[in-house]
Amino acid sequence: MSIRATGGVAVRGADDLPVGLELVAPRRLLHAPVTARVELGPGDRALVGPGERVMAGTPLAERLRDPQLVEAPALAGEDPRRPGDRMTAADGHGRSFRRAASVAGELVFRSGRRWRVATGDVSDPIEAPGAGVVREVYPGSAMEIELDGLGLAGAFAVGVPTRGQLAFATDRSGEVHATGLDIGRAGTILVVGARVDAEALTRARAMGVRGIVVDALPGKELRDFSASERRQRAALHRLPPFAVLVLDGVIRRPIASPVMVLLEALAGREVGIVTDPPAILIPGDLPSIPSPPPDWVRVRHGPYAGREGRWLAPLGPRRFPPGVHLEAGLVKLEERVPVAVPLADLERFV
Amino acid sequence: MTPDDRACLALDLGGATTTVSLIARIGGRWRLLGGSSAPASTPTEALIATVVDRLLAADPALSGEIDAAGAEHWPRLVARTGPPSRIVVLAATERSLGRLAGAARRAGWSVLSASAESTGPLEMTRMMLRRDVGAVLVGAADPPATDERSLIADLAELVAATAGRRPDLTVLLSGGLADHADRFDDPVHSSALAEIVGEADPGTEPGIEAVGSSAPTDVVDAIPPTNGAGPAATSPTTLLVAPASTAGDPPGDVLRTLLDELRSKADDGRRAMARATATLAGHLGRRVETLEIGHDGALRAVAWPAGAGGRTNLRWATVAEAALVPDPVDDATVDGVLGWSTLPLDRHRLRDRLAELRLAPWAEAHGDGAPLRMAAARAALERLVTLTPELDRPVPDLIVVSGGVWAVAPGAAVGLAVADVLRRPGATQLALDHARLLGPLGTIADDALRLALVADLVDDLMAPMGTVVIPAGLRAGRSSGQLVVHAAAGTTELDLIPGGLELVDLPPGESALAEFRFRDPVTLGSRGRHFAVDVAGGLGGVLVDLRDVPLHLPDRADRRRELLAAWQRALWTGLGS
Repeated sequence: MSIRATGGVAVRGADDLPVGLELVAPRRLLHAPVTARVELGPGDRALVGPGERVMAGTPLAERLRDPQLVEAPALAGEDPRRPGDRMTAADGHGRSFRRAASVAGELVFRSGRRWRVATGDVSDPIEAPGAGVVREVYPGSAMEIELDGLGLAGAFAVGVPTRGQLAFATDRSGEVHATGLDIGRAGTILVVGARVDAEALTRARAMGVRGIVVDALPGKELRDFSASERRQRAALHRLPPFAVLVLDGVIRRPIASPVMVLLEALAGREVGIVTDPPAILIPGDLPSIPSPPPDWVRVRHGPYAGREGRWLAPLGPRRFPPGVHLEAGLVKLEERVPVAVPLADLERFV
Repeated sequence: MTPDDRACLALDLGGATTTVSLIARIGGRWRLLGGSSAPASTPTEALIATVVDRLLAADPALSGEIDAAGAEHWPRLVARTGPPSRIVVLAATERSLGRLAGAARRAGWSVLSASAESTGPLEMTRMMLRRDVGAVLVGAADPPATDERSLIADLAELVAATAGRRPDLTVLLSGGLADHADRFDDPVHSSALAEIVGEADPGTEPGIEAVGSSAPTDVVDAIPPTNGAGPAATSPTTLLVAPASTAGDPPGDVLRTLLDELRSKADDGRRAMARATATLAGHLGRRVETLEIGHDGALRAVAWPAGAGGRTNLRWATVAEAALVPDPVDDATVDGVLGWSTLPLDRHRLRDRLAELRLAPWAEAHGDGAPLRMAAARAALERLVTLTPELDRPVPDLIVVSGGVWAVAPGAAVGLAVADVLRRPGATQLALDHARLLGPLGTIADDALRLALVADLVDDLMAPMGTVVIPAGLRAGRSSGQLVVHAAAGTTELDLIPGGLELVDLPPGESALAEFRFRDPVTLGSRGRHFAVDVAGGLGGVLVDLRDVPLHLPDRADRRRELLAAWQRALWTGLGS
C-alpha cells in the first residue's frame, strides 16, 4: 500500500484497492478547481466582468428582489442599444424623452418605439465566497467564477454563495434545534450534524449565521424554510448572504467520518459555501489530515445507513429480501459481525 | 463494428446504471456470454474487468477461444442516455401552448412552457436565458387565430431579443410565428428541416419511420447538437422554421419528429432502442412494443412488420417526465406514486424516499425499496402511457420492458405492474431486456448486421416473463366462465372469478393453448364467449387478469393500499405482509 500526500490531500492509487472494492462507487472528497456558477435574472446587475480578479466578500452582483417590467421610449433615429444593455437613470444621450430619465435597469426587448426595461426598487448583494477569477458573465443569466482552493462536494444546496468561520454546533450524528442557536454564532458557517429542521434554519438566519452544513435536509423542512425565506424577502431591508449545504440527501444519517475529520481540521478557519455546484469552498492550504484506511467503506442506504466499517471481500450476486439479486460485499461494521451489504448501498472515499 | 468482428462489448451507459455485456460469435452464432450492471458511478473498466474475470473463471476453454483476456480491446457498442435537454416552449395562447408543449414532451425534452396569456415577458425572458436551456420553440396556430394576432408580434420580438443575447440557442418558429423570422438578426437557417419533413417515403404512412434496407434513418445529422456546449457563443442563432403543431398523423407528429431529431445525439440510447425494437419486430414478424423506464426519461416504441420486403414500421416517443422519479419531485409525482404505493408512508416521508431515490437510484433496492420502486415504476409508466395515447392500439403481440427498475421484482410481479397500468383487452407476451442489449444493438448502423445480431441473440437478450391475458366486460358474479390451459406437462382448469387474478404456471420456453369459455360475451381482442389463445411461458407464467378495465381502485388510501398489496403479494414470493 502506498499513500502519498499532496498539498495536505491524501491520494491513493486505484491499484492499491482491496479485491472487489473497485466496484464500490467512489466518493471523491475534494475537487479542484471549483468553478462556481451564480444565477442571475433579467434586471440583475453584474458588478464584475470576465477576467476580473475578486477577493472573498467582493460584491459580484445585485439581485433584484422583485423585478418589474416598465416601458421607456426608444431613442430618436437609430437606437444603438441592444437587449441586455444597462440603462441608467440619466441615459439618453441628450435625446431622450423625459420619462426615460426616470428608468434605470436592463433592456429586455423592444416593441415598436418603446423598450421594455427590467427594473426594481430593492436588490440583494451577492458576494464572492472566496478569491478567484471571473470567467464568464452572461447578463441576465449567470456568471462563472473560478475560485481558488478546494471544494468539498455536497448533494445539494439552497441560498446564495456565502462565507464565514467554520464552527460546530453538535457532533456528526447530532441534531440542532432552534433553542440551541444564539447570537454568538453570528458570522459563522455552522456544522449541525445529521439533520436540521426549518425552525432552526430560520433562527440561524435571524441570528446572523452565514451558512449551515448538514448531512440531510428532509423535503418538508426545506419547503418550510423556503416559505420563510420568501416572507423575509417581502420586507424592505437587505438580507445578508445565507446558504444551506446538504452533504448527503434527505434521509437522516450521520456525517461521514472522513468528511467530519476534514471539517474538524478546518474548525475556526474561514470557508465558503458555493451553491452551484454544491460545495464547501476551502481556501488556502489544507491542514494535514489522516487519510481513511484503504478498505474503509460507509453504508449510505438501507438498514445500516450511516454506519461505517471495513471491506472484507466481494460476495458476487446475492439474494436480498424480498427476492432481489444484487451484487454484494462482506463488510465488518464497527463491533458487529460481518454482514453482506449490496455494493450499491456502499461508498468508499477517494 | 463490422461483420468480420467475432466478439464485442455492449455498453449501456445510463444516467443511473452502467451495464456491460460480453457478446461473441460461438459456433457461427452470436451469443451473450455474460454481463453485469452497477451504479453509473462505478468505473466502467472495473465492471468490464469483473465480467471478464467471471467468464475466465467459469469457462477457461471458451475464454481462450475468443481471447476474452483481451476483451477491453474488443469493439464496443455504446448506447448512452443522460439528462434530458431543456427546451422553452412559448405560445400566444394556452390552447396553442398545449399542442406545442405536448410535441416537445413526446420528443424527450424537458419542457418549460408559458403562454403570453398567462405569463409576463419578464418571466419568459428569465426562462429563455437559463443556461441549461438549449432551444426555444415558439408558435401559434397557422394561420394565427383571432386572439393570437395581437400577441404574436411582441412574442416574436421578445424571442428575437433573447436570441440575440444567447447566440447558442436554437430557435424554432412554428405555425403563425414563421412569418416573423425576419425579426432575427442574421440567423443561420438550417436546411435539415426539409430533409426531415419534406421527403417522406411514399410507401410510408405520415409520422411513421420505416426501418429497412431503404430506411431514411439518421436523416438529420446536419442539425447542430444543442446538448451541452452547443454552437460557439460567437455563432449566430440557429433558426428553424418548424411545422405547425397540428401537422401529421396524429396531429403534432411531424413537429415531434423534428424535435426528437434536434435533441438526439448519434449514440442516443433511446433512439437506438427504438431502432432495435423495429429490427426485433421484423425478425419475429410480430407487433412489438418496448416500454423503457429510466432515470432521466422513458421510451415507448411500437414496431410492426409492413408487408413484404422486410420493411418494418416504427413509431416511438421519448418522454423525460416519465422518468422513474422526475427532477424535481413535485406534488404530481408524489401523488402518482402514492396512488400505487403499498407502503404505509405519509406524503412527506414518501417525498423524501423519492427524493433519495432520485439522488441515488440504486439506493436500497432491497427491502422496502423494492415495492417502492415498483410503485414508482407504475406511476412512471402511467405518465408515459398518458402522454402517448397514439401508441395504445392495437395491442402488441410482445411487450419488452426495459430499465433497471424492473429487475427488482419477479416476472409475475412485473407482469402485474404492466397490467395495472396498460388496461388493454387482449393477450400479450411479456419479456424483459435483462441485459440491456436493445440500446447497444440499436446503435449498429448497418441494418443487415443489426438484424443478424438480433436474430442470433433474440433468445439471450429477452428474459421471457410470461403472458398477460386481460378480458374486458366481465359481469360481476361468482364465476364468469372457465379456463383450460393445454400444455405439454398437462391440462390446467380454472374458474374465472371476476375481479381477481389467476396465475397458471408455465415455464420459460414452453407454449400452451389457453381455452377461455365465458358465460357472457367479453372483449379479448374481439368480442365473443369462446376464445383459444396461444400463450407462451415465462418466469411469471400466464397471468389472467380478470379485474376491471379500466382498473377501479378504492378512494380510501388504506383500502387501496391493502388491495394493491394483496394482489402484489400473491405474485411476489418473499414480499412481507
